[in-house]
Amino acid sequence: MDISFALTGKGYVIVAADTVAARSIVKMKVDEDKIKVLSPHLLMAYSGEPGDTVQFAEYVERNIRLYQIRNTHALRPPSAASWIRRTLADSLRSRKPYAVNLLVGGYDTSTHNPHLYWIDYLGTMSEVPFAAHGYGAYFALSLLDRYHDPEASVEEGLATLKRCIDEVAKRLVVNPEKYKVKIVDKDGVREVEI
Amino acid sequence: MSIMEYNGGSVIAMVGKDCVAIASDLRLGNQALGISSNFQKIFPMTNRIFLGLPGLATDVTTLKETFRYRVNMFTIKEEREIEPETFAHLVSSTLYERRFGPWFIEPVMAGLQKTHDGGYKPYIAATDLIGCLNFAKDFVVAGTASTKLFGVAEGLWEPDLEPEDLFETISQTLLNAVDRDAYSGWGAEVYVLTKDKVIKRTLKGRMD
Amino acid sequence: MNSFLTRYSSTSPEADIRKAKELFDEDGDVSDVMWGSASGFGNLASGVPMFKLPSVPDPTSFLRMHTDDHADPSCRIKIKHGTTTLAFRFQGGVIVAVDSRATAGSYVASGTVKKVIEINPYLLGTMAGGAADCQYWETYLGIQCRLHELRNRERISVAAASKYLSNLVYSYKGMGLSMGTMICGWDKTVRIPEMNRDCTEAIRANCRLQGPAIFYVDSDGSRLKGDLFSVGSGSTFAYGVLDQGYRWDLTDAEAQELGRRSIYAAGHRDAFSGNTVNLYHVKQDGWQFIGNYDVSKLHYEGPGDVPGAPGTGYGYDLRVAGRTSSDAPQSEGQA
Repeated sequence: MDISFALTGKGYVIVAADTVAARSIVKMKVDEDKIKVLSPHLLMAYSGEPGDTVQFAEYVERNIRLYQIRNTHALRPPSAASWIRRTLADSLRSRKPYAVNLLVGGYDTSTHNPHLYWIDYLGTMSEVPFAAHGYGAYFALSLLDRYHDPEASVEEGLATLKRCIDEVAKRLVVNPEKYKVKIVDKDGVREVEI
Repeated sequence: MSIMEYNGGSVIAMVGKDCVAIASDLRLGNQALGISSNFQKIFPMTNRIFLGLPGLATDVTTLKETFRYRVNMFTIKEEREIEPETFAHLVSSTLYERRFGPWFIEPVMAGLQKTHDGGYKPYIAATDLIGCLNFAKDFVVAGTASTKLFGVAEGLWEPDLEPEDLFETISQTLLNAVDRDAYSGWGAEVYVLTKDKVIKRTLKGRMD
Repeated sequence: MNSFLTRYSSTSPEADIRKAKELFDEDGDVSDVMWGSASGFGNLASGVPMFKLPSVPDPTSFLRMHTDDHADPSCRIKIKHGTTTLAFRFQGGVIVAVDSRATAGSYVASGTVKKVIEINPYLLGTMAGGAADCQYWETYLGIQCRLHELRNRERISVAAASKYLSNLVYSYKGMGLSMGTMICGWDKTVRIPEMNRDCTEAIRANCRLQGPAIFYVDSDGSRLKGDLFSVGSGSTFAYGVLDQGYRWDLTDAEAQELGRRSIYAAGHRDAFSGNTVNLYHVKQDGWQFIGNYDVSKLHYEGPGDVPGAPGTGYGYDLRVAGRTSSDAPQSEGQA
């Protein structure tokens, strides 16, 4: 029942994920952060099988960090996404696959391009201007087809994100109520309140 | 729900007169939900070999990477480019490696094979998901729209088409077949290989 | 006495014929109209139609076993499924918009299905779920609405028509009917002077139940009155666009554009919706067919020269053509 959204704008990527940690029919926690900061210019929203999610996110986080320590430079978003995808794809055919869906958003400081990748638990990856995981996708994607603007300012981008959240609140049977929202741009990562 | 239909997508290859063509749709879906209309399924292996990989999208990417690696290793070790026929067997054996836990991909390849007199001979082939090779003299198809592609191709294809006519034939075949398939479509791309150039065109297809 | 004997004996020749008739069910009671221009509706005047059931102990589960392609994709009978439909009420009446794709499994069986059923000049029904179920029962509803008119010298209200349909499909609950429909129309405007002079407050309240109306009716037996509905596998995509653009005081042109744009959105994202959009507008003097629009043409060129059109294609790539999210400095500047 996790819901996550992400969208690109002029020089930034906004990543949003709901904050509910549920077990069976019970909300165990309502302020869980499901967006990991992988490097100074890289974000990853994760959702899926409880347990797998955090384990996988931390595994990715440590490996991205290790690469940076070994090579001085951090992986750029396309390379990082590629590595993450391959890790998931390899895991799929292992004895115990990670069932984790991801939205990887990053800002490439060399080319000044924001990048957003939609990755599912099978290791399917696609670079997209906007993305969503969970039931939210069924409401938000058509909405974003209509309202998303690649040249939107951060304020306009957040307004579009708000539309998605409101639409899900209006139509989805279970409403997560609270979302954590993070932005990555040339200045790095920051969290915003909506 | 079949795993081969999870992401959707289709590929077709056709033989012409001293040329070959290979074409695919561009849809990436999650069953009924469309995710991307820019998901490539055809990859250049050498200047004269193109490989189409319809099937499960995660395996499309993984196999694309695997074949790039293996073709590069071949080039380094043999100090020559791989020929289409050899490549077809590379594809076949790569897939059979996973006989008991297959890649969910049905590859289609198109290439121009060097002949002894220095010319080029059209070459197309396809395999099933565990590597059974199928060489054809006319056309090969694979993917969620394969049944529809067979029908249209049987009607439109004819021998010895010139590159431009072959382009028209393969494009019409693909576009009309994917319009009858819910899981294929969302744009298309076509590659026509002739002895001195590769023509790539993106087609304007139905977007529903 | 003798006739009594023949009627109730189980060995007489008459009894044998009677048994044979029961067994083979010669349609003796059905009039000839059944085979004529009444197209199968000939027996309806005499009441609710009868259907033959498979001669197995449990016909319902027998049918389900062979038609439920959600649980079993390899089932024998693939019923054609209707897909995205919407209707909303606004200041200027009711907008009804639907797609036209019918799929059987992944096969696009038709791209030219009429999913709006014109029940009569004031009533429209939409079609989602089993195509045959919707077509048959909404046509049947049309017959009953006409009979109501003849009997009562008054048009049937949308509420009554939808309730009739709801009760009808509810009586078949559990037998595999599959329909999700919206009954849309314009209820007769009643003028007070025509009515009883000393009319009660209840009657006055009733007078307010006039103008545009939408009822959602499905085969579970739900019947909901509302301002805005979308039904079908592509409904979520339609809602995404519809909800964000909806206001009560939409102009006619804006409302038609919103309906068209919402069905396009569903046709684009949902594999089982698309091909064309059929748009209707219900006003005081009945419904009006606005047009048929190809979804692909809407994507690349837009709806053409119609009221409310944006002037460009609806497609995302066309809308944002030339716009980039890159913030690379034009000349050398920031790091």
